[in-house]
Amino acid sequence: MSMSNKTFIIVRREYLERVKKKSFIITTILMPVLMLVLMCLPGLLMNVNISEARSIGVVDNSGVIAGGLQDNELAKYTRVDIAPDSMYSREDYDGFVIINSDILTNPSGVTLYTRDAGSMELERSLSENIANIIENERLKQLEKTDVKEVLESVRADVSMSTFRLTDGEASSGTSSIISYAIGIVMSVLLYMFLLMYGQMVMTSIIEEKNNRVLELVVTSVKPTQIMLGKIMGVGLVAVTQLALWTVIMLVLSASIIPLFFSPEIAAEVAAYNTGALDPAASSISIEGVQALSVIGNPWYIAGIFGYLFLFLVGGFLLYSAMYAAIGSSVDNIQDGSQLQSFVIIPLILGFIVSTTIAANPISSLATWLSIIPFTSPMVMMTRIPFGIPTWEIILSLVVLYLSFLGVVWFAAKVYRVGIFMHGKKPSLKQLIQWARYK
Amino acid sequence: MENILEVQNVSKHYTGHTALDNVSLSIPKGSIYGLLGPNGAGKTTLIRIINHITAPDSGRVLFEGHQLVENDVESIGYLPEERGLYKKMKVGDQAVFFAMLKGLSRKEATSRLKEWFEKFGILDWWNKKVEELSKGMAQKIQFIVTVLHKPKLLIFDEPFSGFDPINANLLKEEILSLHREGATVIFSTHNMASVEALCDEITLINNSHNILTGNVNEIRHRIGGNRTAFVVEGETGPIESEIKQMGLPVTIETIDSGDHRLLIKRGDSVTMRQLIEIVNSKAIIKSLEPALPSMEEIFIETVNQFNTISHVNE
Repeated sequence: MSMSNKTFIIVRREYLERVKKKSFIITTILMPVLMLVLMCLPGLLMNVNISEARSIGVVDNSGVIAGGLQDNELAKYTRVDIAPDSMYSREDYDGFVIINSDILTNPSGVTLYTRDAGSMELERSLSENIANIIENERLKQLEKTDVKEVLESVRADVSMSTFRLTDGEASSGTSSIISYAIGIVMSVLLYMFLLMYGQMVMTSIIEEKNNRVLELVVTSVKPTQIMLGKIMGVGLVAVTQLALWTVIMLVLSASIIPLFFSPEIAAEVAAYNTGALDPAASSISIEGVQALSVIGNPWYIAGIFGYLFLFLVGGFLLYSAMYAAIGSSVDNIQDGSQLQSFVIIPLILGFIVSTTIAANPISSLATWLSIIPFTSPMVMMTRIPFGIPTWEIILSLVVLYLSFLGVVWFAAKVYRVGIFMHGKKPSLKQLIQWARYK
Repeated sequence: MENILEVQNVSKHYTGHTALDNVSLSIPKGSIYGLLGPNGAGKTTLIRIINHITAPDSGRVLFEGHQLVENDVESIGYLPEERGLYKKMKVGDQAVFFAMLKGLSRKEATSRLKEWFEKFGILDWWNKKVEELSKGMAQKIQFIVTVLHKPKLLIFDEPFSGFDPINANLLKEEILSLHREGATVIFSTHNMASVEALCDEITLINNSHNILTGNVNEIRHRIGGNRTAFVVEGETGPIESEIKQMGLPVTIETIDSGDHRLLIKRGDSVTMRQLIEIVNSKAIIKSLEPALPSMEEIFIETVNQFNTISHVNE
């Protein structure tokens, strides 16, 4: 039988044993939902409130504040008249605010007592609220009632619609905030995938080595084929998961998400997509509309996932080959921790750098790190949503896949010796020595 | 006799030590061959080279007269000493997996496996996970997947260790039956009793060298050096002193009947007739027979001799 057939039998076993696991099925279904939430979050956070309004008793010794306090999603204000000592027993209130009688002349005469931990948002909203009332009262005292209207009329709210200049034509683009969010999500995803599936290759090789299944498998298959079979099998699992995620995401974004839009917001997103949206008339922030527009656009998501797929496969092959070499050379995961740092450090570096690169995607550091194979998957995927030249992406992919060939050659040489070595914890120097054996 | 396997001047070095140093041996077709040697002597390295798992630094291996190639491992069945199975996988699926790696089709593998499982009375294990099996049960599965593809050459590394006597015997009978059907068998073992009982030829590897090779009976006669066992009645002191005077090694023990058993190695300088006359003149001979050394004695003696010589040479 030919070599490739045997490798195929190994791949098949590795693949089927994993995709049949319950844990695989559960994470595959749950993750896309989590990802959509993550992608929506920056845009929608400002419009959604998650905390419950607290009921706050107002002890107003000045008599001017309580009537003007506006209830909002953070708090409901009720004027009460109680002695300070009895506050502790009044459990029908979540907190009390005491206003001193000279509040108009001394604005710091406010004290807030809360039953549970105070929240910065509540404090900020309350002080703004009180400040407004005080300002209004002071204006009244100036007897210039029209000042308020004058102030209103000169206020300006600024928000931007952004477009990217591509080939001399302004195309509807994503704002930096949305690109940033997508870039970070891609980078997190890659980091997670490479680490999770890379370590899966390592731990499963350590396990096979330790319970001596490998001794039996090598009697019919070459060590190199076993290693490649394992890498490809686990890699196919990763690809399967990503593909399922893409499909689930597309279905969600194309059909389910629009259902959650109110007709008003849906109309705004549609208007935004055709460039006809008047930001001033929008019911939610322009960023929120952009986020929804992106998530509701299957083509955009498919494009991003296409690149993600290429970088995921390349990155996985590169990293899993290194993990395979380490797994073959040690007896347990603890022994592998020292060697693992050679793999994890570039991985973490790529991840951390990509979060800062998202803020400035065209710096020369960004360009270099997105070409160097050990960081390129994460860094490049962070930059792609911002729109970068295609040749850079292709160069990055070519370098990544070529480096894989080099690394896998070395890993195979280490693996065939390592799987029979037991007991001693090897150093990198020894791995290099093993690679030299005939 | 035609050789199924020839190892010619094979050497293999690792950093800091030599696993095999210019080792040669020939394994006749249809024989049961013993590969002996202390731990760490290089046996496993040699077997891995024969199985095309590692490559020798120099020298070559011929299988049925041609240079050993990748595909030849499909004609070899090797049961390693240290072996395991995938714990989470079902027994049947796993056996089919290993059989397919040896080149059998899924259909062929399944039907042959069912035959073997039936023979061993373990058909109801098929859908169990391996982790539910005992060690002995797992070893039966490993044996089956080793021989399933009907290899011409079977290599067993310490096959009987870990088996209870009943299953060890079952296994031995199966191996002998495969041998009768034409397979050549190599045993790599420390168990000298099984070597005497089973093997036609042996090679003793020590410290990466082949230090003794040949037919078991021939070796026992050659190394035995004309040793004779006398059972005598009466005083043995005079015999002992006379024999020692002649420079011949002698050991004496008292046996159950109250008689004494003398083991005398007469070498070439003394004839059998002379020896009998000496013993006969001093005591009453009740019986005498040639006393061939056991393989265990030969193993220990040869290895010690070799180690002393190489020690002196260093």
